[in-house]
Amino acid sequence: MKSPFSRKNRGLYIVIVGCGKVGITLVEKLSQENHDITIIDQDSEVVSKVAGTYDVMGVTGNGSSYNVQLEAGVDNADLIIAVTASDELNLLCCTIAKKLNDCTAIARVRKPDYTEELSYLREKLGISLIINPELETAKEMARLLRLPMALDINSFAKGQAELVKFRIPDTSALNDRKIANINKDFNSDVLICGVERDGELVIPDGSYTLKKRDVVTFLATPRHTHTFFKQIGVDTHQVRSCMIIGGGKTSYYLAKQLTEMNTDVKIIEIDQKRCEELSVLLPKALVIYGDGGDEKLLKEEGIDKTGAFIPLTGLDEENILLTLFAQKISDTKVITKINRTTFNDVIDNLDMGSVMYPRYMTSETILGYVRAMQNTIGSNVETLYNLFDNRAEALEFNVDAKSPVVGIPIMELPLKDELLLAALSRNGKVIIPRGSDIIQGGDRVIVVTKHTGFNDVADILR
Amino acid sequence: MNYGVVVYIIGWLMNFEAAFMTMPCLVALLKGEKEGFAFLWVLLGSALIGTLIVHKKPKDMTFYVKEGFVTVALSWIVMSVIGCLPFMLNHDIPHFVDALFETISGFTTTGASILNNIEGLSMCSLFWRSFTHWIGGMGVLVFMLAILPMAGGSNMNLMKAESPGPSVGKLVPKVRQTALYLYGIYIALTILEIIFLLFGKMGLFESVTTAMSTAGTGGFAIRNDSLISASPYIQWVVTIFMILFGINFGVYFLLITKRFGYAIRHEEARTYLLIILTSVIIIFINVRGLWESAADAIRHVTFQVASIITTTGFCTADFDLWPQTSQILLILLMFIGACAGSTGGGIKVSRIMILVKTVAKEITSYVHPRSVKKVKMEGKVVEHETLRTANVYFITFTILYALSVFLLSFDDKSLVTNFTAVAATINNVGPGLEAVGPVRNFAEFTDFSKVVLMFDMLAGRLELFPLLLLISPSVWKRTKKV
Repeated sequence: MKSPFSRKNRGLYIVIVGCGKVGITLVEKLSQENHDITIIDQDSEVVSKVAGTYDVMGVTGNGSSYNVQLEAGVDNADLIIAVTASDELNLLCCTIAKKLNDCTAIARVRKPDYTEELSYLREKLGISLIINPELETAKEMARLLRLPMALDINSFAKGQAELVKFRIPDTSALNDRKIANINKDFNSDVLICGVERDGELVIPDGSYTLKKRDVVTFLATPRHTHTFFKQIGVDTHQVRSCMIIGGGKTSYYLAKQLTEMNTDVKIIEIDQKRCEELSVLLPKALVIYGDGGDEKLLKEEGIDKTGAFIPLTGLDEENILLTLFAQKISDTKVITKINRTTFNDVIDNLDMGSVMYPRYMTSETILGYVRAMQNTIGSNVETLYNLFDNRAEALEFNVDAKSPVVGIPIMELPLKDELLLAALSRNGKVIIPRGSDIIQGGDRVIVVTKHTGFNDVADILR
Repeated sequence: MNYGVVVYIIGWLMNFEAAFMTMPCLVALLKGEKEGFAFLWVLLGSALIGTLIVHKKPKDMTFYVKEGFVTVALSWIVMSVIGCLPFMLNHDIPHFVDALFETISGFTTTGASILNNIEGLSMCSLFWRSFTHWIGGMGVLVFMLAILPMAGGSNMNLMKAESPGPSVGKLVPKVRQTALYLYGIYIALTILEIIFLLFGKMGLFESVTTAMSTAGTGGFAIRNDSLISASPYIQWVVTIFMILFGINFGVYFLLITKRFGYAIRHEEARTYLLIILTSVIIIFINVRGLWESAADAIRHVTFQVASIITTTGFCTADFDLWPQTSQILLILLMFIGACAGSTGGGIKVSRIMILVKTVAKEITSYVHPRSVKKVKMEGKVVEHETLRTANVYFITFTILYALSVFLLSFDDKSLVTNFTAVAATINNVGPGLEAVGPVRNFAEFTDFSKVVLMFDMLAGRLELFPLLLLISPSVWKRTKKV
């Protein structure tokens, strides 16, 4: 919106359609980051509540209507985020907004029917980002089950690389070893991006020596992660069997991934019709028709013998209770999904294994995108991730053929301190760069750094 | 109740008022008036106390509707008390109740005066009188929101309490940006009027004070005869600007952002202009005989109608002498008032529209008991909540009105005087009929009646509830831990 008053450091003009759990989380976070936000929702009560709590403008109406979008100022917006309950409505909102004003569009699409077609939708409808919280959650869970020792795993560069965080065990061969020697000694291909010792974050160079109990974050392709863990003596066996309670969308996505990993999956679902659907969709999984809250049934199906136990019912309370029950009678790996985010203090005090908040995951993905978007105005940062509680950033740059970093072996580049060239992505393949590698035009470069405000890949040079 | 934040904001308010008082000081300096020292002392005192208060920011800045209403009501009272002190100190208006009446009348943009001889005041006091209109017109807290970077959506609760209208919306997503826009439009229009008045050979001082009184739809003039002796050109300029300041500022925002279609279709502004046009025609026919030329008649009628409906209260003719039909129509216009989101007072055009539409809907439902119909405004369904508050507002207004007329009756004046005195104050108009007519004033009332009228002025400007909330005991009850 053209303003007669100066608007230095202005944020983006963002229109958010749908004020459900994710919508409100987004409003909360984005309004703190100085963006101009307008919300659209059908329910006027929700709109006035949100507009009264946060510094945003509210419009009541159907977000896919042209007039409502005009009223919300989509014609001037930089970004539209559609997170209503309906996939179709979200897609329609974005399509109409794209026609009205060629702004960036983000849609939430959850139905399994569309998951196979996401890239088609993205390309043909021009939607920049399509998020599927259930799928993301399932992927994250599957990653954790594959590598139960890891504290945290973040997918990176479209899943071809991952950032793995783990604590060095007391007996590991990694203790007292210089980082420069690691790949040679263990015949591995990983890159240590950060080390947290006594609450202090270091972006290490080759001469840094690791100690036991350091929390190390490294970047590698999924295959190399595995070999690396094996080499350094960290338990890597993946979960062999898994019991899932509830047969919702997340369960479907998770079961699908797990069966592809050759894990035995058992799903307990209370609705017979859904059971039949699932058995068709997931031929390799064992679908059991019954009440997951029934203690007898759980014991009968071997809750005490399963490798992992994941309650995915629609009710947080039930999920928590089931987790606690499983923790009590066996030492199985448990993951708890929590939708609501109230009473966090109470939840934190319970021993519930890995806890996942799909709502935060969705909003984090969108937030990451928005931050990168704000950064890309006048720069060529592709994506931006905040790491280690915002103490470091991971940036993905597009490299132009004329850039000063092209054509020189990496070890000869005058790189800044506290900065790592973590990965190169060339023709969809991720390379962990060595000193002799040369960056080419068209590459994507992933950089981990404690500096902020990089706009171009040339900024990594001194 | 979060007392800390209420006091903190009032502290800021005192600083802002001190800043505003530099203007009359400046006037006194230019004109070489020693009365200006009164403003200087009050300025320093207010700034000192204000600075001490805002020195420490309260930890808890949370702010709910309740705090918003109480803050606004208290702010306006504090602001008025401070604002009346210079009048007393420089002996322009020595009596406290009179000085407070004049200041509240200024800030609430009423324009009702207790002064018999306005021209006897010092220039700086005259300036301050008009300046209070300008500050009060758009609201001092809205001004603070535009200047102070106070983060958080709860600021909206302040703006809601101070801005008139059944539902307060924002122009742009951020409160601060919205406040900036509102003041930008306000200042631009004021300057435009000053320029137009200067073209009419009005002196700079009078142009500025008149423009500020018009902008806030106040009505304090610097002459005893208001604008009766002003040239026809000046009267037309003021007429047009009064009407402009009575339009919802959202319309100007639509114009700035080049959304002309929406601006033209603005239902409230259209109705408002239609009411003005109809009233002018009816009154013109009614009073045509009083003037020789039709041009004079139309000018005076338009001026009076614009002045009353926008609740400004300037006058170019003594409508106390006009026929009954015209008088009654003018009184009715007082109640209708200007558009919501403007600087004018009254019940507001949009609220009247909602009330009338509700009645129409009720009547339909008697004919077709099972009919389902929603009240619509600006092409949109009016929420039940808005309807309810509009109804409650009207009921509260009526009760307060009746009570005030009763309390005034102790002065033993005529019914017309009492009735129109309350109408002129609660709607922030200024002049009424008979003893409070356009060429007379409120000086004859007793102090008690003046206090009642002061309450009415504040209640009218702040749309009743903030002030009523202030005197409701449940707000002040501390919740104790058992």
